[in-house]
Amino acid sequence: MPPRKRAPSRSSPGAKPVGSPIVGQPTVGPIVEPLAGPIVGTAMEVDGPHNPQQVIAGLRATSEGEDLVQLLTPEGQRVSHPRFDLEISAADIQAFYRDMVLVRRLDREANVLQRQGQLGLWAPLLGQEAAQIGAGRAMAPQDMAFPSYREHGVAWCRGVNPTELFGIFRGIDQGSWDPHSTGFQLYAVVVGTQCLHATGYAMGQRLDGKIGNAETGEATICFFGDGATSQGDVHEAFVWAAVYDAPVVFFCQNNQWAISASLDHQTRVPLYRRARGYGFPGIRVDGNDVLAVFAVTQWALRECRTGNGPVLIEACTYRMDAHTTSDDPTRYRLADELEEWKLKDPVERVRVHLVREGLAQPEFFAGVANEADELARRLRDYCMSMPVPGPERIFSNIYAEASPSIDAARADYLAYHASFVEDERR
Amino acid sequence: MTSIFALPDVGEGLTEAEIVRWLVAPGDTLTLNQIIVEIETAKAAVELPSPYAGVVTELFAEPGATVAVGSPLIAIDAGDAVVQPTAEIGPEIGAEGPDGRITTLVGYGPRTATMTRRPRKPLAVAPAAEDQASVPLAKPPVRKLAKELGIDLSTVLGSGNGGVITREDVRRAATEPIADPGQRREPVRGMRKATAAAVVSSAFTAPHVTMFLTVDVTAMMQLRARLAGRPVFRGVKLTPLTFTARALCLAVRRTPEVNASWDQASGEIVYFDYVHLGIAADTPRGLVVPKIRHAERMSLHELALALEELASAARDGSTAPGDMLGGTITITNVGVFGIDTGTPILNPGESAILALGAIREQPWVVDGAVVPRQVCQLALSVDHRVVDGAQGSRFLSDIGALLTDPALAFTF
Amino acid sequence: MSGTGGPQTITLAKGLNQGLRAAMEANPRVIVMGEDIGKLGGVFRITDGLQKDFGEQRVLDTPLGESGIIGTAVGLALRGYRPVCEIQFDGFIYPAFDQIVTQLARFHYRSQGKLRMPVVVRVPHGGGIGAVEHHSESPESYFAHTPGIKVVACANAVDAYWMIQQAIACDDPVIFFEPKRRYWEKAALDLTSAPPPLFSSQLVRSGTTATVVAYGPMVRTVLDAATIAEQDGQQLEVIDLRTLSPLDLAPVFDSVRRTGRLICVSEAPGEASLIGELAARVSQECFYSLEAPVLRVTGFDTPYPPAKCEEDYLPDVDRILDAVDRALGY
Repeated sequence: MPPRKRAPSRSSPGAKPVGSPIVGQPTVGPIVEPLAGPIVGTAMEVDGPHNPQQVIAGLRATSEGEDLVQLLTPEGQRVSHPRFDLEISAADIQAFYRDMVLVRRLDREANVLQRQGQLGLWAPLLGQEAAQIGAGRAMAPQDMAFPSYREHGVAWCRGVNPTELFGIFRGIDQGSWDPHSTGFQLYAVVVGTQCLHATGYAMGQRLDGKIGNAETGEATICFFGDGATSQGDVHEAFVWAAVYDAPVVFFCQNNQWAISASLDHQTRVPLYRRARGYGFPGIRVDGNDVLAVFAVTQWALRECRTGNGPVLIEACTYRMDAHTTSDDPTRYRLADELEEWKLKDPVERVRVHLVREGLAQPEFFAGVANEADELARRLRDYCMSMPVPGPERIFSNIYAEASPSIDAARADYLAYHASFVEDERR
Repeated sequence: MTSIFALPDVGEGLTEAEIVRWLVAPGDTLTLNQIIVEIETAKAAVELPSPYAGVVTELFAEPGATVAVGSPLIAIDAGDAVVQPTAEIGPEIGAEGPDGRITTLVGYGPRTATMTRRPRKPLAVAPAAEDQASVPLAKPPVRKLAKELGIDLSTVLGSGNGGVITREDVRRAATEPIADPGQRREPVRGMRKATAAAVVSSAFTAPHVTMFLTVDVTAMMQLRARLAGRPVFRGVKLTPLTFTARALCLAVRRTPEVNASWDQASGEIVYFDYVHLGIAADTPRGLVVPKIRHAERMSLHELALALEELASAARDGSTAPGDMLGGTITITNVGVFGIDTGTPILNPGESAILALGAIREQPWVVDGAVVPRQVCQLALSVDHRVVDGAQGSRFLSDIGALLTDPALAFTF
Repeated sequence: MSGTGGPQTITLAKGLNQGLRAAMEANPRVIVMGEDIGKLGGVFRITDGLQKDFGEQRVLDTPLGESGIIGTAVGLALRGYRPVCEIQFDGFIYPAFDQIVTQLARFHYRSQGKLRMPVVVRVPHGGGIGAVEHHSESPESYFAHTPGIKVVACANAVDAYWMIQQAIACDDPVIFFEPKRRYWEKAALDLTSAPPPLFSSQLVRSGTTATVVAYGPMVRTVLDAATIAEQDGQQLEVIDLRTLSPLDLAPVFDSVRRTGRLICVSEAPGEASLIGELAARVSQECFYSLEAPVLRVTGFDTPYPPAKCEEDYLPDVDRILDAVDRALGY
């Protein structure tokens, strides 16, 4: 097929220059573009360059550009941002560091456990710690998170015991924590499906009158990746959220890859700009910068709690490991790319910052390292002694109401099961 | 202790992997999670980390070799330091199970096919259902055959399990002659069939000898009348059968041989300590012989109650199946039909059966004079393999004596 | 479809790969499309090497969207292409269900033959690989229930090689199920031996005691059960259905008329499944031959359980032979 020709750029007096942020307001206050404002009528902005090769190169440079919100550079230096500046104490930065180190350690230990046959599968978050911790810590207790299947960092922030994540990957359950008490829904393995669920939940928050106050109102945040943005359900979620003004933050972790499909397989436009097409704000943030992610997500959630939702956040990050332990990334991406992203490591930049600015002592780092070892040990011990559910689990809780046919099937199977002499095969 | 790390399925259903290269050798000390080997699967090249810390004692595969998932890769001596977490799941992952297979996490990766059936516990065999079906039980091929041969299945007796009609049954029915209009044919099934089998088996297996005794039971009848008025016997019927049953139980004490069974299979005679007394009863469905268990322990009053209950259950057809089995001796009361006596046939498995005849007023000699008395005939059939003439006679005569002079019960 | 040389031992995955390759060489309008099938070669490596040899215009790494894959395939078919779509795992086919049932299945009927849908939708199916949710489903019955599409299931490497080519050559839309737990099982492929027709079931083991019918991943399990049964003096006759819609039941009827007993095996939940259809048809056609009712060994009517429970869920040799015993008890 011949390369797609793009329409020539049309400008008009009100058109915004290429690359400028969609919104240019200070931190507080509503965004510029009213949600109810005309979507058509102003000039159709063909933002960005005209040919696919340039677009792809532009997409690749996702940690640069005026529109990328960043508060801590990869080298660990604080920079300011006109809209999303953040006042934060040393203790809080230490807390972020600790969160990310522990989450990374739990992720690495789980990966290793899979290679040792203790887990059937693991979906690693290596490289995405800042995106998840920053967003997770921005949530208020009354907010609800809808994860995909990789948000172990958000689970951490919501108080889900990491051991509870293992049941899914070990194959003994399909999610054992309580979504209502944690504010963290069960993992969604079908890609993108959770966006509609999150939108519906947020619609419920609005119907219940929980919207109006930035502190005490409720909001929903939905996590998905760059690949998910190609699924029809995600687009329908955007439509619904927009027309119902749902208080939902669509948090896209653009980790550049959907298994072997690079970002250019999913889009011709930076993902955050899609929001505009649906009529709500989209913000691009350096996903490896925990401070920026925190600041932007906090703002977005407050907007939603106030009633100005939805919001799309594109957190630009990188999937440092494989899609899952069944995947082999050496087959489709180059080692150089990985090396480049190592220079933007989310944990390292915070460590460097804490050291350079004298915000933490060696004892602090040693303490965190010990905690990480202890966590790994606890997880390993737990994993290796997880009980196996009995055959009755197959028939358990299929319906809320009584089901005589399931009861009969269960009874039949258990009788059959009991008819065997005990041997080592089962 | 030495632990074995077996090749896990590293990617959703893999069955094998090739060893690319080892990064450790026997004798090396390992830390937990240290990378020990590179493998190549159908999907990817993967590094495997060690699940144990310790010293490498053996490598089980050469570079270039293809290893099946679940096969041992490396043995590591973890020393005493390793604390094994308690696993409720059975063999430790990597350890050798009792069947010699190395355990990998169950269900991960396609399992190698099991080539034997798992042994089953012995099944409790359900008793063949009595043929109560309103619809003849026949499989489609048999129905087709019946239709082709013009046989009405409702007239065919099924010889299969549970009364199922077989091809042979149909073919046999087809070769039978057509019935004469002057005849009525009724297939033999159910209870009649069972009873017929029982009496044939008994009659033609056990050598029957029948002894007769005519007795004056006037005293017994007088006692009956006296007892009937007493408070304890109100509400229950005292009959000649009641007294006969009691007399029989007493007489068994002096002649236990009659309360026994010839066991052909083991070549033994079984003597019973208890009397499970069978009472032959005629019901609308046919002859049934329910048992009174432990009749030897029962007083006259208890026997009377038991007999009443038994009679009503038999009339209703509600006798419990358990009460139909396990008898040791039987009484058949032909007297209720007005019959004097008979030659009863033993219940299969028993050695004696007593027939109680009708009680009539008949001339009897008392103190040299002929006077009318209540007289009845007793007949005792015995299995002559078990009971000889003297024993049978003594038993019968004891019963007769007790019925003639009930006060003799004191001496038994 | 051609080849020379003696038999080669190949895995089922390789059989599919070589079959796809042969189909693409034979017809330049054949294109392959799906998620991660190009550069990566597919998560099970079924399309390994195809993009390198046939280029990005014929081997498309699609965006992440099942409805998009099938819907655009419909459009490509209208344009004269013969698309071979891959749905990455059985449990992810549902976003495409609308495009399959309302469009793919109906264009020919709607247009009364003017418009054809020579589309193949490849779907790895079945459990037994210790996977997480949605990776172990058996959704065949939904599609067998849909008029206008055809549904097949290969069970071994040789069938995989031939059937994929036949499905691509078929002018009707074919849902092509591949038994993922059998992807790595090997067989000897003899290219000089002509394959049976695509929409035919095959007798794979002769016997007299009882007939056992299965498809896809269960065929291997049934054959294992038959090997064990032989030790007990039972000779099971085994039929691989291969085609689920249309069903080819003549061999099944013939077999049941000889053995008098039928056991049907499938991983999918039994309720309202195509196995029930099979049982009803045999009861109708072979009524006078049945020594026992048709027995079914299937997955339970529950969602597919967590991996550690799947051994209890999936029919195994014990459950199959238990059904044989029950059939023989009549």
